[in-house]
Amino acid sequence: MSAPAAAAPVTFSDAQLAEVRRLQALYPAPRAALLPVLRMAQETWGHISPAIEAYVGTLFGLSAAHVHEVVTFYTLFFPRPVGRHVVAVCQNLSCALRGAEDVIAYLEGRLGIQAGETTPDGRVTLLRVECLCACEHAPMMQVDDDYVGPLDRAGLDRVLAELR
Amino acid sequence: MEPILSRHFDRPEARTLEGYRAAGGYEAFRKALALGPAGIAAEVKKANLRGLGGAGFPTGTKWGFIPQKRTGPVYLVVNADEGEPGTFKDRYILERDPHALIEGMLIAAYAIDCQTSFVYIRGEYVRPWRVFSEAAAEAEAAGLLGPDILGSGFGHRIIVHRGAGAYICGEETGLISSLEGYKGWPKVKPPFPAIRGAFGQPTVVNNVETLATLPHIVARGGEWFAGLGTKTQGGTRLYSVSGHVVRPGVYEAPVSITLRELIERAGGVPPGRRLKAVVPGGASAPLLRADEIDVSMDVDGLRAAGTMAGSAGVIVMDDTTCIPEALHVVARFYAHESCGQCTPCRECTGWIYRITGRILAGKGVPADPDTILDVARRGAGSTICAFYDGAIGPYISYVEKFRAEFDHHIRHGACDVRPNGGPARAAGH
Amino acid sequence: MPKLTIDGREIEVPPGTNLIEAARQLGIEIPHYCYHPGLPIAGACRLCMVDIERTPRPTIACNTVAADGMAVETRTPRVLELRRSVMEWHLINHPLDCPVCDQAGECWLQIYYMQHGLYEPRMIDDKVHKPKAVPIGRHVMLDAERCILCSRCVRFCDTITRTGELGIFNRGDHSELGVFPGTTLDNPYSGNVVDICPVGALTDRDFRFQARVWYLDRAKSICPGCARGCNIEVHTNQKRTHHAQGRRVVRLKPRFNAAVNRWWMCDEGRYGFGDLDAPTRLERPELGLDGARGAATWDAAAARLAERLRAAGPEGTAVLLSPALPNEDLWLARRLFADALGVRRLDHRVPPREPGSADDLLRVADKAPNRRGAELLGLEVAGAADGWPILEAARAGAVRLLWVVGHDVLDSGWPADLVAEALGRVDCLVYQGTNANGTSARAHCVLPSAAYVEREGTFTNVDGRVQRFWRAVLPRGEARADWEIFAAVARALGHDWRPRRAEQLFRELAEGVPAFAGLSYAGLGDQGAPVAGAVAEAAR
Repeated sequence: MSAPAAAAPVTFSDAQLAEVRRLQALYPAPRAALLPVLRMAQETWGHISPAIEAYVGTLFGLSAAHVHEVVTFYTLFFPRPVGRHVVAVCQNLSCALRGAEDVIAYLEGRLGIQAGETTPDGRVTLLRVECLCACEHAPMMQVDDDYVGPLDRAGLDRVLAELR
Repeated sequence: MEPILSRHFDRPEARTLEGYRAAGGYEAFRKALALGPAGIAAEVKKANLRGLGGAGFPTGTKWGFIPQKRTGPVYLVVNADEGEPGTFKDRYILERDPHALIEGMLIAAYAIDCQTSFVYIRGEYVRPWRVFSEAAAEAEAAGLLGPDILGSGFGHRIIVHRGAGAYICGEETGLISSLEGYKGWPKVKPPFPAIRGAFGQPTVVNNVETLATLPHIVARGGEWFAGLGTKTQGGTRLYSVSGHVVRPGVYEAPVSITLRELIERAGGVPPGRRLKAVVPGGASAPLLRADEIDVSMDVDGLRAAGTMAGSAGVIVMDDTTCIPEALHVVARFYAHESCGQCTPCRECTGWIYRITGRILAGKGVPADPDTILDVARRGAGSTICAFYDGAIGPYISYVEKFRAEFDHHIRHGACDVRPNGGPARAAGH
Repeated sequence: MPKLTIDGREIEVPPGTNLIEAARQLGIEIPHYCYHPGLPIAGACRLCMVDIERTPRPTIACNTVAADGMAVETRTPRVLELRRSVMEWHLINHPLDCPVCDQAGECWLQIYYMQHGLYEPRMIDDKVHKPKAVPIGRHVMLDAERCILCSRCVRFCDTITRTGELGIFNRGDHSELGVFPGTTLDNPYSGNVVDICPVGALTDRDFRFQARVWYLDRAKSICPGCARGCNIEVHTNQKRTHHAQGRRVVRLKPRFNAAVNRWWMCDEGRYGFGDLDAPTRLERPELGLDGARGAATWDAAAARLAERLRAAGPEGTAVLLSPALPNEDLWLARRLFADALGVRRLDHRVPPREPGSADDLLRVADKAPNRRGAELLGLEVAGAADGWPILEAARAGAVRLLWVVGHDVLDSGWPADLVAEALGRVDCLVYQGTNANGTSARAHCVLPSAAYVEREGTFTNVDGRVQRFWRAVLPRGEARADWEIFAAVARALGHDWRPRRAEQLFRELAEGVPAFAGLSYAGLGDQGAPVAGAVAEAAR
């Protein structure tokens, strides 16, 4: 999920543009399609750079500033590049009560980075996040699309081994 | 107790349309068509159904706020932005009984004359989103969604909309703002959503579980549902139990169950430990001490006990818990999730989080606990939405009920609860 | 019309009035930040809370419409406590920049703190830090730390200019005002965000560190930048002349007028006052009729000009009046040149080199503040499209004395070479104006005019609204109001004209010109009034 060369111009493909129009027509007001379109841009380019924000703005008749507001507001939109895998560890109450800090400390040690950073080889971005609402599996984390928990060292080692 | 809301949770076969129907699914919707909108609303009122997302507002009353005279469509918005710490029951419904939600949505939509509904699913819920979207596609293919459902003349379509990571989008007008393509900033009220909500139209926002309850109410009657609970709140609900318990998970129980009974069903605290405190209704619910758990878990019972039923997220803390550290974790959450729009919440969530951090780092000053209490109390009721009112629940209750622990940290710069002593391990953002 | 009581006093207000405006009508000022009558409601600052009977908690006044029978209390103990709390909350992360902040003295955190705060500070934790001293546009400086996130500026750029440059990024107490990376706030009205910013987050780069506001004097005036006639205030530094590089006029601010500019003014007007204290200001009369041009007294200049006027006669005299002259001065000019001297080659229309900028907000393409005044006074050569026939006549040698007021005819829409020829054939070129230019450089006689800020008078705007402006500073050097100059020349010609104030001339004008009938300085007040037959423009 890493970004392509910075020199490439930012535009959606024709098929993607058709999807943008479909989404804009689906809702009572076209602006409602902004979140799904931003997600589509992030899935395409890995993160949402200022150039992409400006581009998406043109698709909606929105100033780039207003797109930037939306991108910086939501945790799941990444304004800066992230690793091929995003490991988001819950640090909220139920997980904290069951060892979330140990999990984070262990991962930071194994990956050699602090939470909030990306490994130098671009493999993993480690994040602290708030409640993912899977407290029955505390301590838990989200690895890309999947919830994983309860976590122990063996389990964490297994997960890390599978992240290429 | 006969499982009602949770009856399909361990039956994967009921997740498909065929399996759901084989178990009697969508018959309630047929019955609802026959009852008509007024009939449905009457049953829901009789049922004493209270909203199960957090506010506990009577559902029938909420539907009644939609004006008779109106121009343009009415929208139903399903709040599947489950985010209250300690709560995971909506996830179970989305993943394990998606058709129950669809059927409930159809009943509600028919009752409020709504042809288009939006299901706002938090962005992190990837598998639940896939499962639910598949179920909605199945329903559409079978003519249970679309124009003229079951020959009734009633048409309905569902638009599934994914969130992008913000707890405040679980607040009904924050959700609406996000649905409309903006930052999840809650809206100044009035106007209220029933008058002017999503896209400027009359809107009802209902929680996932609240809607999933409707097929049962319609099928077996509001009176039956009311009889399962207390005088002011009917039925069963899904309690999410987590923290220091042997068997964390979702537990369905009548709303009259006591907190003690609920904790026992989840296996109680681990062997060798003692119960210290419980959060009864999600992180925003004021804390109860171990000697306060003989309380009925319904909306009014918990309100009378100085706390709230909220989202029924029960977080159990045993005697290995450092309460100042727990408050720091919770304060960090509120500081992180404040949308920042209005002054009291934006400034105080950050400030109180920094105070708790300073206390844990051994640099607390004697005035700190009173500062937290005073700042929290001054902000009550002063904000655009109830997020800050939720934040002050833990701010006040943790400090008031465990004042000695805070004073100890301040006086000694160390914790007397954790076996290792020394500064707590909760780190910063 | 709803009738309600506020603090025990009854008032009736138009339907739809919010409680802040209703209270204002009783002289009760409810403190607020994010509310602005020209912008959509935000309801975010929480400062304007009031107690309303039968409402369990205090409610914000800005978003509450006055209802019949409502009973509002703006000073209950819990409202006062809430205000004190809101002040504390705003100051949790606000940097203590007062000593270096331009807003000091007109800062609403300072003002409301003194009125509603006055608490013992108890914030000992780190403050959130954000970018400081960021130039976000040609005219505007941003200090994101000082910003109280009232969002007035964002709403201004969204709903008034509809350019959307500003946004509030992130969330929680890391919320930050800014422009999109790589863009700037450079719409033609950018300066207005400085006016509406209650604190020193958005400040004027032009005014930065120039003067402390408590030393400034203020006078009501009218912007002379175009025919719109936006109502303004002229702020002058006359108490600390060693500041602001000795400039007297340090800034212009818009003044509310519902019928003209509401709360706004454009950047061209706002920042276009540089000429007033520039080195190019003309400060003393000069004569160059016999040899090199040199300083002269007003008496000498008036006497020589009277001679030359008599010699040239009505056929040999031509006058190009400026449509920036106030009504009073145009009136006296007409009495002098047209009536007393019989001059027929009299006009005000000189085309600009480039068409002026215009938009659907305030700016008018015609950059003359008193075009309508000149038109209503009939100061035009009949049948001509503009003043060119006068220059043509000069080129043909028919003009012996050309009197140019305020125009640089060599820098206009007319071909400069032809104009130069024309000027070259005139025996006596008189230039009367405020600043030196190409025309004044060639003049045989230069008469220094007082600028609009140096005298009072009226302009008639594009919609026919006559508006007063007041004096802000004394004229520079020996400059005089244009009407004073005309009167002096008239006296030198033998007319005993001794007007003492511009108001006398306005009275004459109102009696002599039907369009102005019934108007008076008292009647005009500070909001102006339309000439007869002008369509009353609804407030925009």
